Amino acid sequence: MHSESKIDPKILEEMLKFSKNVFDAPKLVSAPDEISLEVTPHDTVQEIDKTRLLHYRPLTDKQHKTPLLISYALINRYHILDIQPEKSWVRNLLLQGFDVYMLDWGTPTSMDKYLDFDDYVNGYLDSSVEYIKNESSTEKISLQGYCTGGTISTAYASLHPESVKNYIATAPVIDGWRDTTVISNLAKHMDVDKMVDTIGNMPPEFMYYCFSVLKPFEQGIEKYVKFFKNIDNKKFVDNFLRIEKWLGDTPPIPGELFKQWIKDIYQDNLLIQNKMYVGKEHIDLKKINMPTFTQIAVGDHLVSPECSMPLHYAIGSEDKTLRMYPTGHVGMIASSLSQNKVLPELGKWLAERS
Amino acid sequence: MSSKPQALASTGPMRAFAANSKKITTELIEINEDLIGFNQYLTEYYKQLTDTWGVAQKKVNVKAPEIPQDVEQIESFKRIWIDIFDNDFTELFDSEKFGENYGNLVSKELELTKHWNNIVNVILQSVNLPSKEEIDEVYKELHSLKKRVGKLELELKKKETKNNA
Repeated sequence: MHSESKIDPKILEEMLKFSKNVFDAPKLVSAPDEISLEVTPHDTVQEIDKTRLLHYRPLTDKQHKTPLLISYALINRYHILDIQPEKSWVRNLLLQGFDVYMLDWGTPTSMDKYLDFDDYVNGYLDSSVEYIKNESSTEKISLQGYCTGGTISTAYASLHPESVKNYIATAPVIDGWRDTTVISNLAKHMDVDKMVDTIGNMPPEFMYYCFSVLKPFEQGIEKYVKFFKNIDNKKFVDNFLRIEKWLGDTPPIPGELFKQWIKDIYQDNLLIQNKMYVGKEHIDLKKINMPTFTQIAVGDHLVSPECSMPLHYAIGSEDKTLRMYPTGHVGMIASSLSQNKVLPELGKWLAERS
Repeated sequence: MSSKPQALASTGPMRAFAANSKKITTELIEINEDLIGFNQYLTEYYKQLTDTWGVAQKKVNVKAPEIPQDVEQIESFKRIWIDIFDNDFTELFDSEKFGENYGNLVSKELELTKHWNNIVNVILQSVNLPSKEEIDEVYKELHSLKKRVGKLELELKKKETKNNA
């Protein structure tokens, strides 16, 4: 007897189309080294060791008086803030008339394993602030810190309040014990002394492992299925490859900095308890007395809202604003929501104080 | 000259060779001991992943018992599968038992790396090249010197500004 097949012919059609797309992909997409992530024109105005201070060229005739320095995270690179023109954080701020600088932390090598929080806060970040102050003839600048760059900027704002006119904390890593993410769980169980003593800098491979356990099936399967399904959509493919290139390019983190970061933030949670020291200087969050704008993404699975939010309540500033957005860690800075909601709100707040 | 054969190794070029062989053998023995611990944690790691997979798959079977028949059904089955697997695996990665075992696994891997480093150090020193610790010393010294120079430059700049004012 013959059994009747119930398989929808459309399924076969879809499967054949999908297979064809997989085979065609190498002909249709660019290789990672053919994609440039440098979108908005800028000049390198200062170089110290491996770090670079970038100054973006203005896009408006008139600019606000107070320049803005962005301190990007230590994981991955600053390119996500300028990943493509229509989703560029930097370009949006330039179009709103801000004078924008970016601190590129560069790529540390084995030789840099002894760089610590002090070097980043009182060295590289402070030198950049001093340069901008001199260059723009201002006494204070606006400072934005994103993710782990937010931890460094928070320490800076506490130690050098006289140089910071406005502080913007975007998904900052602050209260490690409240962090509910997988990364915080791994960090809490890490023998970081042994890691740094044995291998020196924190290798990018370890970070890639951490990324791979975040929504592994959505990110490891569905994302690529969508990519092959949309292989004919040039805009989609271009955007996808840019993000992939950015995701696959994270520098090592200097050993001593990584050690202090894991211990003081995730394991002992010293920053939010006002017990952290950078060099020999005490970080007191109450000393952050300048206008402060804290941005949090509700769906953040890299830095949970519970980890960032305590900053708003711990600082000494009287002029402080907390904004929460229905998006994720990257969505807050590089999406249509960031262009239509996050940046206009930030721009309005900052313009009133610049 | 001693007639004991082992004493031959204590003189001349064989002395260093014997000492190095002993160090390397000791490291290799310790590597084997650590490998046992490493394998235990690795087995537990894959056991946790496999158990979670099994539980998640059972949940999917309960929620979507029918074999999908058309494109829409495949799409919704895929959505259910991904959501359940992502939730269950995130729960695992977020758990104390995973964190602890993973921490131990990485720690054992680092111990293995340390033994390898020690073996390489023996070889490096046998050919008069600096060991990892000696290079680290140089890096540390360089870092400290850079800091001192930076501070001196800053002080100099302040003095210059003061003089110019």
